[in-house]
Amino acid sequence: MAELVSFDGATLGYGRRVVLSDLSFSIAEGDFLGMVGPNGAGKTTILRAILGTLKPLHGTVTHTPNIRFGYVPQRDQVDYNFPLTVVDVVLMGRYDRIGLGRRPGARDRDLACKALEHVGILDLAEQSLNLLSGGQKQRTLIARALVGEPNVLVLDEPTSGMDLVSTTQILGLVRELHERNNLTVLMVSHALNEVANYVERIALVMNGGFRIGPVDEVMTQPVLSAMYGIPVEVDSFNGHRIVVARRDGIADADV
Amino acid sequence: MFDAVLLFREALYGALVIGLACSVIGVYVVLRRIVFVGAALAELSSAGIALALWLEGQSMMLGVATHPIALALILTIAGALFFGAGGGRGRIPPDATVGVTYAVAGAAGILLISKAAVGEAHDIFLAGNILGITRADTLVLLAVAIPVLIVHTVFYKEFLFVSFDRETARTLGYNINVWNLLLYFTLGVVIAFAMQSAGVMLVFNFLVLPAVTGLLVSRSMSGVFLWSVASALVASLIGFTLSVRYDLPTSPAIIAVSGALVLVAFVARLGQRR
Repeated sequence: MAELVSFDGATLGYGRRVVLSDLSFSIAEGDFLGMVGPNGAGKTTILRAILGTLKPLHGTVTHTPNIRFGYVPQRDQVDYNFPLTVVDVVLMGRYDRIGLGRRPGARDRDLACKALEHVGILDLAEQSLNLLSGGQKQRTLIARALVGEPNVLVLDEPTSGMDLVSTTQILGLVRELHERNNLTVLMVSHALNEVANYVERIALVMNGGFRIGPVDEVMTQPVLSAMYGIPVEVDSFNGHRIVVARRDGIADADV
Repeated sequence: MFDAVLLFREALYGALVIGLACSVIGVYVVLRRIVFVGAALAELSSAGIALALWLEGQSMMLGVATHPIALALILTIAGALFFGAGGGRGRIPPDATVGVTYAVAGAAGILLISKAAVGEAHDIFLAGNILGITRADTLVLLAVAIPVLIVHTVFYKEFLFVSFDRETARTLGYNINVWNLLLYFTLGVVIAFAMQSAGVMLVFNFLVLPAVTGLLVSRSMSGVFLWSVASALVASLIGFTLSVRYDLPTSPAIIAVSGALVLVAFVARLGQRR
């Protein structure tokens, strides 16, 4: 598979402050990668470098020519006070293709409707964005990312603050997009137990460290204990992996 | 009554142009939660005018560079670009920077005018002198408002995108700083020219109240713009007429009508929900 983004000895940070150093990995075409770590570990910094909005302090981050990202931001990054309908928001995903000073045309609207159909909320196209549920808002943002016909779908904390049902539906939708369209997907999250059961590879970012590999290779007791810095156990329940942190013999199920 | 209004028609035309330009940009001012940036820029503009008058009193006029409009423009656009670039991001929160600018510019304006040759006091800055608008003033206002409105019409979707979701816009290749600076630049230019005759209070009113009315009445961006402009024009017309008919100060009369329109819109919105 062709490499879409390659990090080669990249040191990332802001000004003189180094956040993560000497990163070397790549994202290949058709990849389904989950990037997991606690808040403040540097996930967003790596994400910005992947998206090309942050240049490395040292080393290189290379993008394949004509790469196009479909970015799904964290839901609270969007301002819901704007009086916009769902289709208005989805059309934004085509703004750069439409060009400066020009308005969306009939084809753009058709594509927006198809993207909404793809994520299962075409019936909400003319609904006000601020009247939607959390899951519906997330589907709207995913549709906006898809309407730009991206090579890579990038989701930043797509299930943050969602209930169990919405979380399962959104993660299922993302996996379906990956499997049905062979879309390359990068999903950033702080919830290891959620992500590990959907993606094919995992990148762990924590305590200044970085580890990436297939799920089976990373989701092991020695690797996770070393990365988290506390003893953990990896169990399996009905085919789902569950990571459990051990503290004085008391298990905490949500790492 | 209409004869009296016609007597001041040039001033009315000026107020309508100011209302039109401010009410369009005001939609972004309200949605982006930068209403006090608008107030601070208006104070900077008044400080520029006061500085020009003070220099005149000190016989330190340096031609066009020290004309009230020139100094108001320089200070207001400098402030607009400063806030557009993030307002000195660092330890001090951006809204505190706006507060410092507002207080210092306001005080500087009053201090300078108190020692200026034309010591007509600071009331003019606050309440403006809308009735003093001449045809020439209106033409100048139009010459400023038309290009600004064209920029906002042509680049509507770009301003909307960077205001609504800057991170996603950035990933699609939009230069957020450039678009922010352009938006703030148009805001600064409109405020600098409007301040010459409308005063801080009326300019601030036109930047905020019509947009609030629009947001209460409409559920689409185009509707918000239309209602914002319509309410600014209606408030100007009715407020102006009432001020002439009942010998009231013009700017507060326009603001009172703007406030009444906000109230009507609010009640109508409540009625819709029930």
